[in-house]
Amino acid sequence: MLILGIETATQQVGAAIGGHEGVLGSFHAAKGRRHAETLAPAIDFVRRHARVDLDELGAIAVDIGPGLFTGLRVGVATAKAMAQALRLPMIGVSSLDLLAFPVRHTNRLIVPVIDARRGEVFYALYRHVPGGVQRVSDYRVGTADDLASDLEAAGEDCLLVGDGAVRYRDAFESNGRAEHGGTAHAYPSAEALVQLAHPRALREDFVQPWELAPLYLRKADAEINWEQRVGTGAGGGRG
Amino acid sequence: MNVQLVSRSAKDTQAIAAEVARLAAAGDLVVLGGDLGAGKTTFTQGFGAALGVDEPITSPTFVLMRTYEGALPIVHMDVYRLEHLQEAVDLGLAEILDDGAVALVEWGDLVAAVLPADFLEIMIEQVDGESDDERRLRIRPVGTRWHARMRVLADALAPWTSDEGQV
Repeated sequence: MLILGIETATQQVGAAIGGHEGVLGSFHAAKGRRHAETLAPAIDFVRRHARVDLDELGAIAVDIGPGLFTGLRVGVATAKAMAQALRLPMIGVSSLDLLAFPVRHTNRLIVPVIDARRGEVFYALYRHVPGGVQRVSDYRVGTADDLASDLEAAGEDCLLVGDGAVRYRDAFESNGRAEHGGTAHAYPSAEALVQLAHPRALREDFVQPWELAPLYLRKADAEINWEQRVGTGAGGGRG
Repeated sequence: MNVQLVSRSAKDTQAIAAEVARLAAAGDLVVLGGDLGAGKTTFTQGFGAALGVDEPITSPTFVLMRTYEGALPIVHMDVYRLEHLQEAVDLGLAEILDDGAVALVEWGDLVAAVLPADFLEIMIEQVDGESDDERRLRIRPVGTRWHARMRVLADALAPWTSDEGQV
């Protein structure tokens, strides 16, 4: 089964197509941040050069975050629209899973870190298991110092990957057991997305387009109180 | 330090906005409060024009967000159609500011709980019994970014300072 992977959780835009033969084609651009303008042409570029027609696809995989809202909106909406139009099932994969997967061949604790902006990062802890990685913590959002404390508490050798690990490397410098993967592993890859989605597609571990939702770690559980307006005119909420 | 101003026309409101715009820097947030028709979009038009935006600035109520290219990237948002605070979070304001834009958010006072805690609040009030065009503007810095600029801003806004003056 051929799978289209769409990855827009960071400032990078990525698209890939692959299946049981592995990745057939991929595109990534990490500068520009014009997700909405880059993504559809990127999908078409990969599709044409991998010589895959849209009706050959069996599933659409998408990075559901955590990540930047600006990009996630574009990627998830595009993936859902394509899945609905082509009547294909979907597979949602976390950005942190995608960052951990390519560096799985290590015995160290694997710590993908995504820059959440305004001094915060999204992260989780992973371990190598046969065939992939397994997440051993919940998904977290916090400051780089929060992460540094978590790593001190873990007290073992760890490998940090992701743009958050690059940006906040100073926060881990004093920890002699933490090494960061550098710019080679800064962004989740659409290739990893297709690779991780494939076994799930074989198990028919799908979601439908209307069920798929981005993974938002910053929660605000309240209605907007339109009655509390401070205006002076005829009060009482919206007209 | 807060400032109270009187605007006697839309043109006045735009001139006031232009003075605020001249002090704006990348990553700044301006929260605009006030009733429907108070002049929040009018303010943004004056703000954008001062930063060299030459296309028309129109209300973002329906589309939630519009982006303009001026001396700084300007993001104009309106949360009026939103029902839930999570939707305001989902607009991704923090990353927009982090990327170097200046943002103006209409009705932002009602979602302040999920906004970055550093902004300039501008409340625009219609004044009863006066001309239809008269407005009172209350300007208040929240957080450190704008506090540092308030003295300069107050001086620039002196022509419109109301009788109550600086509070």
